[in-house]
Amino acid sequence: MSTPSPSSKNFKVAFLPSHQEVEVPIGTTLQEAADRNGISIDLPCGGQGRCGRCRVKVEKGQVSQEDNPHLTPRQREQGWVLSCQAQVASDLVVTVPPPRERARAETSTSRAAATVRLEWPLEPAVRRATLEIPPPTLEDNTSDLERLERAAKEALGIAGLEVSLPLLRELPQALRQGEWRVTAILEGAAGDRARLVDILPGEVKGPLWGMAVDIGTTNVVVYLADMSSGHLRDSASAPNSQASCGEDVISRIIYSLRPEGLKHLQELVIQTLNELLSELAVRNGLATTEIYDMVMAGNTTMSHLFLGIPPRHIREEPYAPAATRFPPTQARELGININPNASVTCLPSVAAYVGGDITSGVVSSGLYKKKELTLFMDVGTNGEIVLGGDDWLMTDACSAGPAFEGAGIASGMRAIKGATEDVRIHSKTLEPTLKVIGDVKPLGICGSGLISALAEMRVTGVVDRAGKINLSYIREAMGKRCRAREGEHGKEFVLAWASESGTGEDIVLSEVDINNLLRAKGAIYAGITIMLRHAGVSPQDINEVLIGGSFGRHIDVEEAIQTGLLPDLPWERFKYLGNTSALGAFQALLSRQARAAIKEVAGRMTYLELIADNSFMEEFTAAAFLPHTDMDRFPSMKNLLREAS
Amino acid sequence: MPAVELPVQKWPGRIHEVTLGGNGRKKVVVGGEATLPFLHFEGAIPHRPAIAIEVHDRNPAEWAENLRQVWGSALKSPAAWAKKASELGADLIALRLSSAHPENGNTGAEAAKKNVAQVLEAVDLPVIVLGPEVAEKDNEVLMAAAEAARGQRLAIGDCMEKNYRTIAAACIANGHVAIGKTPIEINLAKQLNILISDVGVSRDAILMDPTTGALGYGLEYSYSVMERLRLAGLQGDAMTAMPMICTVGEEAWRQKEARVSEGVPTTWGQAKERAILWEGITAISLLEAGADIVVLRHPRSVELARATIDKLMAGAGQRSA
Amino acid sequence: MPLSGIEIYKLLPKSNCKECKFPTCLAFAMKLAQKQAELSACPYVSEEAKQALDAAARPPIRLVTVGANPKSFQVGNEVVLFRHEKTFYHPTALVVRVSDSDSADSIANRVKEATTYTVERVGHNMGLQGIAIQNKSGDKAAFARCAQQVQSLTDLPLMLMASDPGTMEAALEKAAAQKPLLYAATRDNWQPMAALAKKYQCPVAICEPGGLQPLSDLTEQVSKTGVEDIVLDPGVRDFNGSLVSLTQIRRLALKSNFRPLGYPVITFPSEAASSLEEEALLAGQQIAKYASIVVLDHFSPEMVYPLLTLRMNIYTDPQKPIQVTPGVYPFGNPKPTSPLLVTTNFSLTYFSVAGEVESSGFPSWLMVTDTEGLSVLTSWAAGKFDAPKIAKTVKEFKISEMVSHQSLILPGAVAVLRGELEEELSGWKVMVGPRDAVDIGSYLKRSWTS
Repeated sequence: MSTPSPSSKNFKVAFLPSHQEVEVPIGTTLQEAADRNGISIDLPCGGQGRCGRCRVKVEKGQVSQEDNPHLTPRQREQGWVLSCQAQVASDLVVTVPPPRERARAETSTSRAAATVRLEWPLEPAVRRATLEIPPPTLEDNTSDLERLERAAKEALGIAGLEVSLPLLRELPQALRQGEWRVTAILEGAAGDRARLVDILPGEVKGPLWGMAVDIGTTNVVVYLADMSSGHLRDSASAPNSQASCGEDVISRIIYSLRPEGLKHLQELVIQTLNELLSELAVRNGLATTEIYDMVMAGNTTMSHLFLGIPPRHIREEPYAPAATRFPPTQARELGININPNASVTCLPSVAAYVGGDITSGVVSSGLYKKKELTLFMDVGTNGEIVLGGDDWLMTDACSAGPAFEGAGIASGMRAIKGATEDVRIHSKTLEPTLKVIGDVKPLGICGSGLISALAEMRVTGVVDRAGKINLSYIREAMGKRCRAREGEHGKEFVLAWASESGTGEDIVLSEVDINNLLRAKGAIYAGITIMLRHAGVSPQDINEVLIGGSFGRHIDVEEAIQTGLLPDLPWERFKYLGNTSALGAFQALLSRQARAAIKEVAGRMTYLELIADNSFMEEFTAAAFLPHTDMDRFPSMKNLLREAS
Repeated sequence: MPAVELPVQKWPGRIHEVTLGGNGRKKVVVGGEATLPFLHFEGAIPHRPAIAIEVHDRNPAEWAENLRQVWGSALKSPAAWAKKASELGADLIALRLSSAHPENGNTGAEAAKKNVAQVLEAVDLPVIVLGPEVAEKDNEVLMAAAEAARGQRLAIGDCMEKNYRTIAAACIANGHVAIGKTPIEINLAKQLNILISDVGVSRDAILMDPTTGALGYGLEYSYSVMERLRLAGLQGDAMTAMPMICTVGEEAWRQKEARVSEGVPTTWGQAKERAILWEGITAISLLEAGADIVVLRHPRSVELARATIDKLMAGAGQRSA
Repeated sequence: MPLSGIEIYKLLPKSNCKECKFPTCLAFAMKLAQKQAELSACPYVSEEAKQALDAAARPPIRLVTVGANPKSFQVGNEVVLFRHEKTFYHPTALVVRVSDSDSADSIANRVKEATTYTVERVGHNMGLQGIAIQNKSGDKAAFARCAQQVQSLTDLPLMLMASDPGTMEAALEKAAAQKPLLYAATRDNWQPMAALAKKYQCPVAICEPGGLQPLSDLTEQVSKTGVEDIVLDPGVRDFNGSLVSLTQIRRLALKSNFRPLGYPVITFPSEAASSLEEEALLAGQQIAKYASIVVLDHFSPEMVYPLLTLRMNIYTDPQKPIQVTPGVYPFGNPKPTSPLLVTTNFSLTYFSVAGEVESSGFPSWLMVTDTEGLSVLTSWAAGKFDAPKIAKTVKEFKISEMVSHQSLILPGAVAVLRGELEEELSGWKVMVGPRDAVDIGSYLKRSWTS
């Protein structure tokens, strides 16, 4: 902080994009100047110049600053500076980039999803048509069914009409009640045979409801869409009730082997789905039977369990699932409380561990049509990775384990209220500062918090590159209130004392926890490395990294790079896309073209079996280090550590 | 006729030079290679690989009879043994403090100090001191050895992932070279080099032991890991560019082919000669994969290895094939 | 140069029609790159693509066959300088040399010895590949007679060594049907030698000690006559010279794609050795560093056994570790009361355990379970080293008939299997051994009292 002396000169600083202006004395830091204007720039490291996250771009004018390893020569050339370090030295024009996306945990419903753009021609599989049908006469007493078919052919250009027995039973009444004016809900394109999904007397208007579902191992998400307008109307999510039978897919497959186990699992997920449906129906004032189509995206195990197909062989070598393409079925067969005749379509998988959630994500993320080399990742219990673009696509899945979802970590938890999502450790005092979802006392630590903690512990020397806690160093730095100690499970570091936590107990990370994290991130990085090698490209060749899945929303790119989870690429190459699986299901619901694209993509994704790759163990060992055994792959971390020492 | 253009590879990296001994004692420098083993036409190989003879601080009753006979009464004292080894042409003495093993006497710091001092007294060669390979005992006796030989620039090992801090610190404090040992895996070897460096050991004071597999007992794993480490070092990776040490004698003589003369197939041939070739072929193969120090047991193997190294180094200074 | 999977993919129809039995064109391309599929499996591949792929698939080092069926050997077709990069494919042929000036008896003894020599190692039988006959006598008839004698004694492939083409042809008249390797075409005799190779359809070695340029020139001349099966002898014999020239030949062939030197190489270690041991060490160097055929002048089991073991080690595919044949292995004449240890059939695991058991001095039994070549922890994690599998192995090899104590020692890393295993093997006592093989000796000393 500079104190203006009488001789000091004042300069004007203009901030973009808000065009706010302020006059400050020479030597004021840009952050301070911004603050005076009410523009807040986050200082995660408290203005030590250590985290490099408060960068702003000087468009015009001069600042004084010291060299900082967080900026590449190119960035410096472009005018990027750290606002906590750079001091005003002339009149300035400064651009403040938008705050980095750090979405909070989603609440159970979110209308924000309504901003989802379809990006496909609106052409749902199901359509609605009002038909005028000539009433029968003594001259022409052709049957009701034939009359309907004739009318549909004439009006809609379909080749034929399939009507199920239950609907046929309703047909005479509907025709007469509507006085030979009926609304038909039909599935099938012009020129093809169509299937009658429902027949309603008179002309029915209003939304034509459809639902897109993402069945995740942990969460089920339902999007409610109006298929006539192409709008997303509402969404809801809930934990997958199958979790009571096992946290990950492997334990669910094992559960499915019990007598009635498979049936029970199927019932549980359908129950979750039906509960969400009722919630949406009530909130939006519709009957669930007004929902006429459903598209589901899930990993291969979830699709099997949802359809009641034995998943057993997904788990056993050579990992051949019962199916990767699933036959269309109808809601009544699965007990889903939408219209019983509505189709239920499960998006196709590629292999045992690359499912419809990924084929869906490859399309909704746009990966499948990228001209430049693009990497798509969906990080959950398994990390699925897809590499390629419009010409070819490769995919693999690495069993990262549930560490990033908080499981297998003593203080781990999901990203809900009370979870520590961000950790800062002071470089001198080693005192941690926690950021907790909901601004309450911490109950535990979630995936993003774990990555953050690991990165900070490494950068500050709390752990060595093998993830071992450096007890003597911490004791020296912290003295009496030392946060490192020998615990029950080896050495541990206390992030929050019992008095600071919401549980009344210490929140710690032990060497065992750290080792689990190292293995999880090592598996993912090794999966990326092996795929790049098979493609004959280097990480630098990746033009864009698209991150899907709920984990991706909370992850901090810089910290993920510091821990060696993500390849060390410029930040702007990473994009968070949120729930790409649900989005793909939504697109498939509303557009036959999107549905065809997902099918096409599933057919051309080439699956690499990591277990069959003998170099996996070696790459894994290399990656189970902080950030990696080969430091040259992490130049930004190299610079950072050089500076820290 | 197509012209032959001899491929000469430019290696950006160089293996670190590590000096043992000095300070009144003979000096042995290993490392410094700027090319693959013995390819003198391509880059400098300033130092020949060194041969260490393995000496124990107790009479090793478990050794093969063949070996025990050839060393005879020298086995009774580490000083006499080291002296004889020196006379038989060792470049280095590798003193294994096996008496500290809980099952071989469980001796402690005092015995280690005494034995190291005696060996240092008996020979003017640089000395490698190795622990009994039981983590706690290693810490105890290697710390003592490091202090007892302060300034003599021993090589001390083995630093393992579990206990590298203590031994590395003792090496820094007393001016010795640390040996890091890892189980035949390139990444683990590199990781340990990094960890030892992070403690503060300088690059010219680290040797790595990537673990030796004897002929027929995993030799191919050691061979390839060593080739890869050497290639990585020459390609400029400073953290794999440590000179390598191989405990060839220990591994070769552990095997039936070297130990047993009776009750084995006749197709194995004559026992004495076979044992020497078992040790000799293991040694030469690993030298050609990049070993900078081989620790041997049998004097004839030493003789053969020395003659072979002479011949392989014969091209030094020439720049054509 | 071999193409990568992506490069091959660019040449394929990209229709993902699956008629090749692979799920995608890219999957097929990647298998082609790994040489695990044939291009002919694709019915839609274009002529252009075929040619490009054929050119890329042409081996940079020619595959040469010596001898005729049923016993012949193949050398060459190597694609890497370092075995970890892929693997070395065709193991060095070890050939034993006899001379036509030796007595018929000593020739017969040597040939019989070399022919019948076979030694077993981890379930694999290893032996020698051929007999070289040197025309030392300078006599045409003696050489032909010797060739005939050797041929009648062995079915191993032959190598005829004579510098005079007439002498060579005299032996060829007797032995041509066996497709012997002719040694050697030189700058003085290459035309008639090449003619013989062509006439009798035999591979020929080219020896030119004047350096790689003259060797390359000579090879070009010979190959222009239509002789394709060539073996190179750069004529450099000593340790360093051999290492350097063989390295350069391999680099030229692989890195510079230099065709005139893209052939297998032959060496004669005894010609630079002052003792049998030195011959063995130099032969060892040449097995590891790029010789395809090594001609030995001495034959003794104690020399050949380590060399064959080395060859097995070096030519093991690093991607497919050697598996030890499952079964029960005795160490040091065990008795029914001796300890029984259990391990997996990953060679490195087996070797470290076997080494420790051997040096422990305890006569012991070691039961090797079939875990498909995986180590203890890996196979346990993969469900291939579990209680039912171990119990099955115990029963399969009738171990209760070999040991009287009905107890076995489990690797410490899988101590969790103990309870289940005791259930599977009723009446057996399951003991938990050390985690690390290195502690086996002390464990036995401490725990084995029966």
